[in-house]
Amino acid sequence: MTDNTKELIINLGPQHPATHGVLRLILEVEGEIIKKCIPHIGYLHRGVEKLSEDLTYVQVLPLTDRLDYLSSMINNVGFCLAIEKLMGINVPERAKFIRTMMAEMARICSHLLWIATHALDIGAMTVFLYAMRDREKLLEMFEMVTGARLTVSYPRIGGVRCDINDKFLEELEKFIEEFPSKVEEYETLIDRNRVWLKRTKGVGVITAEEAINWGLTGPTLRGSGVYYDVRKFFPYDAYDKVEFEVPVGKNGDVYDRYKCRMLEFRQSAKIIKQCIEKLPTGPILAEEAPRIRMPSSPLKINKEDIQFEIYLMEKNIEDFIKKFTEVYASVEAPRGELGFYIVCDESAKPYRMRVRAPSFVHAGALSRLCEGSLIADVIANIGSIDIVLGECDR
Amino acid sequence: MKVGEFIEKILMIEIIKGLWLTLRMLFSKPVTIQYPFERRKVHEGFRGRHALVRDPFTGNDKCIGCMRCTTVCPSRCIHIKREKRENKMVVTDYVIEASRCIYCAYCVEACPVCALVLTEDYEYSQYSIENLVFDKERLLKNWDEFTKKWGKDYYFNKFWQPPGIDPSRWPKTKREQGPIQIKRVEEIKREGIDESFIN
Ligand code: SF4
Ligand code: SF4
Repeated sequence: MTDNTKELIINLGPQHPATHGVLRLILEVEGEIIKKCIPHIGYLHRGVEKLSEDLTYVQVLPLTDRLDYLSSMINNVGFCLAIEKLMGINVPERAKFIRTMMAEMARICSHLLWIATHALDIGAMTVFLYAMRDREKLLEMFEMVTGARLTVSYPRIGGVRCDINDKFLEELEKFIEEFPSKVEEYETLIDRNRVWLKRTKGVGVITAEEAINWGLTGPTLRGSGVYYDVRKFFPYDAYDKVEFEVPVGKNGDVYDRYKCRMLEFRQSAKIIKQCIEKLPTGPILAEEAPRIRMPSSPLKINKEDIQFEIYLMEKNIEDFIKKFTEVYASVEAPRGELGFYIVCDESAKPYRMRVRAPSFVHAGALSRLCEGSLIADVIANIGSIDIVLGECDR
Repeated sequence: MKVGEFIEKILMIEIIKGLWLTLRMLFSKPVTIQYPFERRKVHEGFRGRHALVRDPFTGNDKCIGCMRCTTVCPSRCIHIKREKRENKMVVTDYVIEASRCIYCAYCVEACPVCALVLTEDYEYSQYSIENLVFDKERLLKNWDEFTKKWGKDYYFNKFWQPPGIDPSRWPKTKREQGPIQIKRVEEIKREGIDESFIN
């Protein structure tokens, strides 16, 4: 008998619901085993980086909402941090705490959607409903303060946009009180479930060294046992004033990555609790923060404009632009390290903006994670690295 | 494998635990809202459909044609045409393309006379995209439609004066802006309410 086995090429996505957006994978399979996996991206490309070259720094901010639309708050914070570094603005203490609080809320929100869809992909329907129920509460709280549920545009260069009130704090406190018990609920459903364990343990294993070489960050890296978190290593906002732990995994498989995120839920709740307790009073926007209408060129402000639109003394602008022509600031987004690299010239618009998106890096590592595994494990792998294509394709 | 673990596996403890949880949920109060029949009340300051505020005194819009909203708009979807008539700036055309808007409310924040607002109205889907290009009449109509639903006598948008921001950052007219009366002055007169109430 002649050997007539042949490799089969399967196209997964871009409309497949389990690819979390519009990721397309080309799988070369031999039977059930994957020989090669090539991710194709770019279906959601909107040219955010190029577009931002034509907008002032203030105007770019709402665009960053649209990168990782599940945690738009953290994107905004990252961009603001970069610009604040560029301009030398000191953010008031209260704004820092509010930002930290909001960022952790966004992290919980994003992780809730992750556990919902990840469990749904693997076959646990009930978790989806429970996670969505709790996410709704957070979104409602976002709406109360920021005026939008997903694309919040809440932080501003030099602070935050509007102050929070007691009603919000009360509601948030109530939510945080009962949230750990909600996490236990999800864990009752899946944590020790034999189907879940079979589908996740020992699947998509990546060693610590390899994970670093692939450039993974966030819970995906920590699942392999590497202790790295931007919040701990390069603290921004109020993260150096609150206590929290960074959970790390051991085996680097899908289960450990899942476990890391589940533990992060509790840490985020802890951070929010401390933020509410320590929330100082005071202004929420720095004095020298730019107005909403940035002048066309910060170096060529005429005197009439200064009365109404000045945000920095002329002298200072020249000084710092000479000092910093480029800047990089990164935050710990729910998916990993999100960085903004900005080259600035003498105008109020970025000369070049580059976003270091964790989803982009993780999507690249997908080929490594999937090779040699079964087709069904591809879905578990995509879920476990938690990509958002809006950020990946930008 | 330890004995305990083995027994747990045989008796399917973890699965029974999960099923018990879902069974309990069956008897708890549902959290779902049956949308077209019930409506969730949105919070004040939600960024919804655009509208031009109708001045209770003149019955017209308050826009002075300063172009600030156009310059600040990140998606550049506000188009204003203005003319100089008798030494006064007159806005002849004011168009917002709502389908291009990203609902950042920068325009609302930038407007010095609080003429523009993103109302709390969120149900305005249309069959044709042309219906989402709001001209001046349409924007004023949006305001009327919104105020009908609003149910209070006064309206104030959070983004006109974002709470917590130092008021000295705003121009004077914006600083002095109070809640807008929804009923027009003429209407109140017609109804015969004491005029001192208006101020
Ligand atoms: S909300 Fe933002 S995008 Fe929409 S019209 Fe106003 S400034 Fe433009
Ligand atoms: S900012 Fe206000 S007053 Fe100025 S053009 Fe726009 S709507 Fe009119």
